[in-house]
Amino acid sequence: MFDIHGRYSRITVQVLATLILLPYLLPLVFGIQGSLGGLGLGNYVKVWNTGIVPTVFLNSAIISVSTIAIVLAITMLAAFGFSKLRILGKEVWFWALLAALTVPEAVILTPLFVVASTFDLYDELPGVILPLAALQVPFTILIARNFFDGIPNEIMEAARVDGANYAQVFWSIVMPLTRPIAAAIIVLTLITSWNSYLLPMLMLTEQSKQVVTLLPSFFTSQYTNDQTGVLAAAVMTAVPEVLVYLAFQKYFERGLAAGALK
Amino acid sequence: MSTAPAHETLGRPAGAAGRPRRRSSPLGSRFSGVPWILPATVLVIGLIYFPIGYLGYASTLDWNGFILAPAKAIGDANYAKMFADPVFWTSLWHTVYFYLITFSIQTFLGFTFASLMHSRIRLGNVYKTIIFIPTVLAPATMAPVFRQIFDEFGQFNWLLNQIGLGSLARPWLADQATAMPVVMFITIWEWTGLTFILYYAAMSQLNPEILEAARVDGASSFRVLRSIVWPMCRGTTAALAVLGLIGGLKTFDIPYLVTHGGPNHGTEFLGTYIYYVMAQQSHFGYAATLAIALLVLAVAGGVLLRTSAGRAERG
Repeated sequence: MFDIHGRYSRITVQVLATLILLPYLLPLVFGIQGSLGGLGLGNYVKVWNTGIVPTVFLNSAIISVSTIAIVLAITMLAAFGFSKLRILGKEVWFWALLAALTVPEAVILTPLFVVASTFDLYDELPGVILPLAALQVPFTILIARNFFDGIPNEIMEAARVDGANYAQVFWSIVMPLTRPIAAAIIVLTLITSWNSYLLPMLMLTEQSKQVVTLLPSFFTSQYTNDQTGVLAAAVMTAVPEVLVYLAFQKYFERGLAAGALK
Repeated sequence: MSTAPAHETLGRPAGAAGRPRRRSSPLGSRFSGVPWILPATVLVIGLIYFPIGYLGYASTLDWNGFILAPAKAIGDANYAKMFADPVFWTSLWHTVYFYLITFSIQTFLGFTFASLMHSRIRLGNVYKTIIFIPTVLAPATMAPVFRQIFDEFGQFNWLLNQIGLGSLARPWLADQATAMPVVMFITIWEWTGLTFILYYAAMSQLNPEILEAARVDGASSFRVLRSIVWPMCRGTTAALAVLGLIGGLKTFDIPYLVTHGGPNHGTEFLGTYIYYVMAQQSHFGYAATLAIALLVLAVAGGVLLRTSAGRAERG
């Protein structure tokens, strides 16, 4: 965008970009630096020795994989129905789903809390998975329906003439065409579920059921604000996320962009 | 069974059943799609609509949330309390200026960074990766790091000392005047990557010939950005504005984890206040009332989303 001729303007542009970037880089550096204070790498040993690191990673993985599976299945079915099939009062149903798109987690907090305490649903992973999926689905259906609308009906009609039913058309003709939107849905749901904090904090009280986002607070309560432990725990949960992002960089960037622009 | 062209199904509201030219979808009989949307409908009604209905009921109660504890019906007293509650209004006001400021700065930085990244910069991929990493990380993971940085003995004060501004050093999170700017900084830090990616993608779509022509006519880089690139990215800006508004209403993790809504409600948002009233004060009826207020604002934001998206589609 900037017209560059000559060494001078090239350096100006490079310096400007670096200046903007620094505030984004430094907190990451400070986080790692802080986690190495005091005992150095010993802080990480301390976090590991709590014995709950594998547990929280496993619980987070279970929650994320289950949420993704539920969201993906439900979204694909609904988007196909909304885009390609006839439904009485279709747009009424669609708007009812869309209206739920903006509902913040905090709104359903109180009812969830009451239901959980009434039926003793604390410390059950589905108590986190199902609300996460319900909050995610309106949005993914919106973007998936837009995508499905772009698939020409003629492809399906040809298969129908050949005697295939809707389930067959969906599975063998439509699904293979939807990989890009499926990738976007997986990335969006992975980030929301893996990073979720409020719902797990509310619903999962027992240590054996907790998730990665609760690991740092474990050190504030257990060791009365052990700052290096907190930071080592934070870095430990951040590193896998960064690695997964680096491995699937294109999908993450495309997925989040697709999510932002409906 | 129908020969309606595909473009007729593009997100249009269904016409009345009797009008043959406005068929919203061409396949199957009138009910054939119902089983397909059933799982989504059940999930959303069960876990969003049912809780909202319950909220409406709970907002008329004076109740501590335990099922065996007595709940007293008090009509609209909770609503009257809310409108007279200074913390409620403070939280609302925080949401408004938090949104305006974080959105403006994020847009400015994201747009500028995107245009710089389109200027054949060295190590561009490294720069892009670094600015996007915060978007991927959990706010809950980074919150302790920021608590440390802005602590009285943290790296930010150390940095100020290094560059000779040591007199500005203070415990940033303990001061009501500086806690909110820190919460905003963290939010901007987290979301600029997304803003950047969207502007970067929008700029890739621009016709290079238009930019070239402007330059031949003698326009400066700054002029080209302001008068050509910025207006052409209007759709992206509009989408980001509405997303930011909805995101602003959803704000919880960062103020809760970094400042606990304090000091003295200085970084209170509706989300953190609902949680505080419910978990700390056990006023379930009042928490439900606040949640209804948040819901009304969020749905209003959603309507805005649809209208602005519609406007963008029409051009």
